[in-house]
Amino acid sequence: MIEWAILLQILWTGIAMSSYFVLLTVAFALTLKVEKLWNFAQAGLMGIAFFTMFFVVNKLGLPGWAGLTAGLAVTVAAAVALEAGAISVLRARNSGGLTFFIFTLVFSQFAAYVLTFLFGTEPETIYPSVMSPVRIISNIAVSDWDIQAVVTTIVLVAGLWAFLRFTRDGQFMIAVADNAKLAEIYGISANRAYIISGAIAAVFLTVGIYLYGTRAGVTPDVPLVLVLTSVIGTLLGGLGRVFAAGAAAVFLGLLQSFSILVIPSKWQAMLLYGVLFGALIVFPRGIPGWRPRRVQAPAAPAVASPSPAEG
Amino acid sequence: MEYLAGTIILIALFVILASSYNLIIGYGGLNTVAHPIFFALGAYTSALLGIHAGLPMAVCILAGIAVAVLVSVLLAVTTLRISGDYLLIASLGFQLGLLQLINNMEFTGGPAGLSAVPNTFVGQGRGTIYVVICTLAAIAVVWAIWRTMNGPFGRAVRAMRDDELACAALGRGLISIKILIFAMGCGAAGLAGGLYAYYFQYISPEQFQVAQSAQILTMVVLGGIGTTMGPIVGALVLVALPQAINFLQLPNSLVGTVQGLIFTTLVILFLFLRPGGLVGHTGSQSSHGAAH
Repeated sequence: MIEWAILLQILWTGIAMSSYFVLLTVAFALTLKVEKLWNFAQAGLMGIAFFTMFFVVNKLGLPGWAGLTAGLAVTVAAAVALEAGAISVLRARNSGGLTFFIFTLVFSQFAAYVLTFLFGTEPETIYPSVMSPVRIISNIAVSDWDIQAVVTTIVLVAGLWAFLRFTRDGQFMIAVADNAKLAEIYGISANRAYIISGAIAAVFLTVGIYLYGTRAGVTPDVPLVLVLTSVIGTLLGGLGRVFAAGAAAVFLGLLQSFSILVIPSKWQAMLLYGVLFGALIVFPRGIPGWRPRRVQAPAAPAVASPSPAEG
Repeated sequence: MEYLAGTIILIALFVILASSYNLIIGYGGLNTVAHPIFFALGAYTSALLGIHAGLPMAVCILAGIAVAVLVSVLLAVTTLRISGDYLLIASLGFQLGLLQLINNMEFTGGPAGLSAVPNTFVGQGRGTIYVVICTLAAIAVVWAIWRTMNGPFGRAVRAMRDDELACAALGRGLISIKILIFAMGCGAAGLAGGLYAYYFQYISPEQFQVAQSAQILTMVVLGGIGTTMGPIVGALVLVALPQAINFLQLPNSLVGTVQGLIFTTLVILFLFLRPGGLVGHTGSQSSHGAAH
């Protein structure tokens, strides 16, 4: 019989650990929503972010905030350069999905090789120790890292929600996501929306990999595995549903955490891939209950009125 | 000499992989990235039968092909109702899941892989024999694909790729066409896997990772997707050029990384400078399959 305290501990640890999954998944889902791009290059950006922070903190001996600032600056710059210098070129050529898939995947591999060349293949963490002070609250161990991760994630996700809801650029991003050509007719710059979504995604990626890299070792290959988790979360959440994708990432984090009760840890990765494969087969468009409810149209008149496209 | 033989064998095996992948993705328009897992299934089945059952090489490789075909049919039956990007991602999940299975099983050698694959041919002529076998196999696969795609079945496959609805309206069974080309392509990948296991005598899950998917896909697209010569040229260029690094006498720990850097740099350059592929048309390119 498993005690409640153990279950609650797993629940809390799962929620805390899913924080970086949420940030990485939201970044992936946002790019997919706005740019219609399965951006595997985000793995490369994650690698760039992590090793910039690692270099600043470990090699230059500067404090963590300086590392995070440098990581944010370099990653946002890399994301904007990638969007403006490569992805926009492929988009202008009407390249197919395969070309984007190859480019983004190969970019990540290229970044991984450069990082391997520079930093080697040993797992590295941003700080020398991954331990953080722990306090016991109602028989549950809560570490400072847990609180930092959960609070940071909530603040960033809430900030993104507010940005999309209340700012012009955020609303323009939604408009471009809905119909880029129509948005451009109304004077909205799709390119600007793409660059802003890429920059926001870069911020989420940097903070996500910061949280991961303060908890576990990172090698240049790790980001690609993390991106696959983002893909699973995005699919489970339903395409175009950025915050539902974040919720799905929490579910995946909890699933992995609770799975240790029934399956050995070495099979946990397979559980994720099984969920990915199964979700696509059973729910190829996302979990049905999570789909946005359509606005009910008024009762149709006897004579069909022209559709918006016609008139 | 052995080094040259090894390079030629790698080129021949990648010609098989790229051509068979081109059959699925280029001619059939089915966006999957799971091709390396069928390569792995062929390799592991052949190696395991060779090690534990002591069967002749040809029988083991045939069994590898059969397993690859069987699994491909199972995958096709479950996934071909989805298409485009979804099929791409589902196949990625399938590949990674199966690879994880291979990685965690004891009888497959786990992460360490299998290293005691029987040595069928011994002596100085071993490399030459494998060069002949692999080259003949590559020619046979390319010829079979060329013949198939230039016959009535090939026309049906292309019609399906270009317009599924119109093809179905003409009374063609789309699912059976898809399953057939999937099985043919994956069977060829199984053949390449069996030959790979027997020549290199060592296989591990690391050799069949996502990077391998990108590598084979790149060969197809950069060579010229939907063409007979494209995958051959792609395999030749992308296997041979990174090998040049071996002559620089770098430390062993750096060779793989530098080869990877050369490979990925070449891919990025080709994507922007020759978007239509080396054999295909130049100018703007719109790959088959997933609408973007």
